[in-house]
Amino acid sequence: MVAVCVAPTDLRPEVDDLTGTVRSDLRRADLPAAEAAALEYGLRIAEEWGGWVLVACCGSAAADDLLREARALGAEVVRVGTAPSPTAGPLGPLGPLGPHPVAPGDLAGHPAATAAALAGAIRGHGQPALVLCGDRSGGAGVGAVPAFLAAELGLGQSLGLVSVRTEGVGRLVVERRLDGGWRERLAITGPAVLSVEGAGVRLRRAGLDAVLESAGAPFDVRSPNGSQTPPGEPVAGGMHTSASRPYRPRTRPVPAPTGDAHERLLALTGALSDREPARVVGPLTAAEAADELLAYLARRGYTT
Amino acid sequence: MGRWADISFEARMATVEFRVSERAHIVVDSDVCRSCTTKVCVHACPADLFAPTADGGILFNYEQCFECGTCYMVCNSEGAISWTYPDGGHGVVFRHG
Amino acid sequence: MTDEQQAPDPPVFDAVVVGAGPAGASAALALARAGRSVVMVERGPFPGAKNVYGGVVYGRVLDEVIPHWWEQVPVQRWVVRRSTMILTDTQAVTLDVRSQAWGAQPYNGMTVFRADFDSWLAQHAIDAGARLLTSTVATGLLRDGSGRICGVRTDRPGGDLRARVVIACDGVNSFLAKEAGLLPRADATHMTLGAKEVLALPAGVIEERFGLGPHEGLDIEAVGGTAGVPGGGFLYTNRDSVSVGVVVSLNGLAASGRRPEDLIASFKAHPGIASYLKGAEVKEYSAHLIPEGGYSTMPELATDGLLVAGDAAAMTLAAGIWLEGVNFAIGAGLEAGRAAATAIGTGDVSAAGLSGYRRALEASFVLRDHKRLRLAPDLVLSDRMQQQYTKVLCDIAEDLFTVTNPQPKPGLVRIMRRVLRRHRVRWRDLARDGLDTARTFR
Repeated sequence: MVAVCVAPTDLRPEVDDLTGTVRSDLRRADLPAAEAAALEYGLRIAEEWGGWVLVACCGSAAADDLLREARALGAEVVRVGTAPSPTAGPLGPLGPLGPHPVAPGDLAGHPAATAAALAGAIRGHGQPALVLCGDRSGGAGVGAVPAFLAAELGLGQSLGLVSVRTEGVGRLVVERRLDGGWRERLAITGPAVLSVEGAGVRLRRAGLDAVLESAGAPFDVRSPNGSQTPPGEPVAGGMHTSASRPYRPRTRPVPAPTGDAHERLLALTGALSDREPARVVGPLTAAEAADELLAYLARRGYTT
Repeated sequence: MGRWADISFEARMATVEFRVSERAHIVVDSDVCRSCTTKVCVHACPADLFAPTADGGILFNYEQCFECGTCYMVCNSEGAISWTYPDGGHGVVFRHG
Repeated sequence: MTDEQQAPDPPVFDAVVVGAGPAGASAALALARAGRSVVMVERGPFPGAKNVYGGVVYGRVLDEVIPHWWEQVPVQRWVVRRSTMILTDTQAVTLDVRSQAWGAQPYNGMTVFRADFDSWLAQHAIDAGARLLTSTVATGLLRDGSGRICGVRTDRPGGDLRARVVIACDGVNSFLAKEAGLLPRADATHMTLGAKEVLALPAGVIEERFGLGPHEGLDIEAVGGTAGVPGGGFLYTNRDSVSVGVVVSLNGLAASGRRPEDLIASFKAHPGIASYLKGAEVKEYSAHLIPEGGYSTMPELATDGLLVAGDAAAMTLAAGIWLEGVNFAIGAGLEAGRAAATAIGTGDVSAAGLSGYRRALEASFVLRDHKRLRLAPDLVLSDRMQQQYTKVLCDIAEDLFTVTNPQPKPGLVRIMRRVLRRHRVRWRDLARDGLDTARTFR
C-alpha cells in the first residue's frame, strides 16, 4: 500500500492588509501542487509495484469533493475528521508565528498531532510500503508533518524530492534539490516517508464513469483520538529555529602563492597588479552609455 | 488624467485566481494576423493577452484568460483565433464574480 | 436517480444539463423534482467559478421552487436604493429610487457573489437528487446513428455522457448551441463586454457613503461615462466591497481603440462616482460577455433532443432602465427542466415533443418581457441615444437649475430649443426617437 497524505487548502485566502486577518474558504479549496504531485507519484508507483493507494487527509468535511476526485482515480480514502473552521484559517491575526484561534479539534498548526492522526489512519488500513506527502501544506505549513510522520511510523525519511521513479518493484530512485543548484540522487528500498515538491508531474484526471460512481459515495471518516488533541496553545509549526544565516557556498581552494614574503604579500593583496581604476564617465546619453559599456566589455575580452 | 490610485496591470491580474492548464486553449495563427490591419484583439482583450510582434504577427498568452470570448468575437479574420474552453477544472476561478 | 445504476455502461441519464449556473441548476432542479435522473456538467471547479454578473439578482422567480429562499440565500446586501444615472464627462442626471419595502420580506433585488449564489442554487438541485460533475467540459454533442442528439462528449477520459435530453445552459459562448447550428459562431454585433472591479471597502464606510442600513444595498446603473464608447457603467454594494465596472458594446470597443480597464478607470474617475470609491482597493478584476441582442437575436430554443436556456439563448434584458439576466436564466431553466421532464415522460424528445418549452416561456415573463422590450437594445445603444441625448438631457437639467439673475428664467421650451440646437438634434429625430422610446417601453 502506498499512502499519500493530502491537505486540501484554500490556495488564495483573503488577507486583510491592515490587520493581517486571513480568511480562507475551504469550499474553494484545491490540492497544493506538491500534494497533487505526491498523489500522481503514488498512483504511478502503485501501478508499477502492483499495489494500491490510500489517500489520507486530516481536516474537515468541507473539501470532501476533492477527496472523492482522488477516490475516482482508484485510491482508497480515509479522512480524520476535525471540527470545521470555515472562516478562521490556519493563520491567525499575526501570521504563522503569532497566536491564532484554533477551533477545538482543529489540528491545523499542530504538525505533531496531525502526523499522529494521519499515522493512526494509515495504520488502520495496513502497513504502508511507502508514504508520500507534499513538501509542505498549502496553508501555514512549515513542512514538519512528513518528518513527524516518519517518526510516528518509525520509518526513514527523504524530504523535498523533485523526482521519483521506480526501478523495479520495491526500489525507488529519487532526486532531491540541494542548495546552490546541486542535486542529490538517492536509492530507496523499503518503507520510507517521502515528501515531494510540486514540480515535474501533473495529476491525471479521473475518468467520467469513476467520477460519477465516486460522487456522493461514502468513505472512511475517523475521529481523531481525543487524547491526541493538542492543548490550546499551538507550537509555531512545532519547530524551534536555533539559528538562521544566509547560505555560504563551500570555499574554493586556491593554490597558495609562492616566492619570498614580499612577493607573496603582493600576490595576496594584488597591490601592484594591473587594474583599471574606477572612472566617472557620466552623465551620458543612453547611446553614449551603451557605447561606453560595449567598449568596456570589448576591452575586457567579453565581446569580440 | 483624473485617474487616481489605479494599479499596475500586473497587480490587477494578480487579484484573479487562475488554475493554469498545460494545454493552451487559445491558438492564434500568426500567418493570418500578418494580413490584419486592425488587430483589434490587442486592445479589446480585457486580460491583455495579445501582443503584436515586429513582423506583424500576434504573440498570444493563455494563462491569465478570463475565458470571455471577446478576442474571437472581435477578430475580423475568420480562423485566426482558435478558442476553446480550458480543460475542466482549469482556467479562471472568480470568487467575486 | 436509481435506474442508471442498474443500466449497462455507459449510464444513461434522463437528462444532462451543461453548465451549473442559474439556468442549469434550475433546469436540474426542475428535472430532479419531477423524478428524472439528471446530471449537471460544470467546467469550473465549482458552480459559479466562471461567472460574472453586473448588478442585481431578482429572486421573485424562486418563490415557487424554494419557499422562503431569502432566509438561506447567500446574499451580500438587499437593494433598497436604485439609481439610474445619465452621465456626460462633467455632468450627471440621476433618478434615485428608494424603498424600504425592498429591504424586508419578501424582498426585491439582492447583490450576491456568483461563486456563492450559483453554488447555493446548484446545491438545491443536488439536494433534490440531481448529480453534479464539476471540472468537466462538455466538448461537443453526441449523436446516434440517425444524427439525433443523444448526449454530450466531455473532456474526461472515457467521457461520453448519454442522455435522452441535453439542456445547453453553457453560457454566452455556448459551443453546444453553435454546434447544433442554433447560434452563429461569432456575433460581435449583439454582444457587450462587461468588465468589473470588486473594491474592498469596510461595511461601515459603505453604509455611511451610500446612506444605507446594515444589510441594505445600492445599485447604480449609468448610461454614458464610458469615454465615448457606447455603453454604460454600474456600481453596486456588497457586504464589505463595492463592484464597479462598465458594460460596452463589443463593436464600439473594437472601434474605439480603448482598453477595457481604461474604460473602468474613466467611469471611476467621473466626478459623480469618484468620491464613492475613495480609498477602495481592488480585490478582484473580471470580465465577461453579455448577449444583449434581446428577443430578435434569440436562437431557436429547442431542437431534437436539445434545449437552450440562459445566456446561451441570449436571455438577458438590457433595456436601459432594466438590467436583468439571472432571473431570466432561472425562469428559463425551470421551464426547460419541466418541459424536458414532460417530454421524457411521453417518450417524445423531438423538437415537437420539446415544444412545450417555448410555449411555457411565451406565457411567462421570460419571453414576454423580452418581446415587449425587443426594440430596447438597439435604442439604448444607438448613436443618438449614447452621444447626443445624454448631453441634451444633462444640459437641459443644468440650464433649468442655473439661476441667471438678473435675467429672468428662460422657460423650459426655450431651454430645450437652445440645447437641441447646441447639440444639432433635429426636432424630427427627437420626435421619432421619442415615439420609438414610447413604443419600446409602453
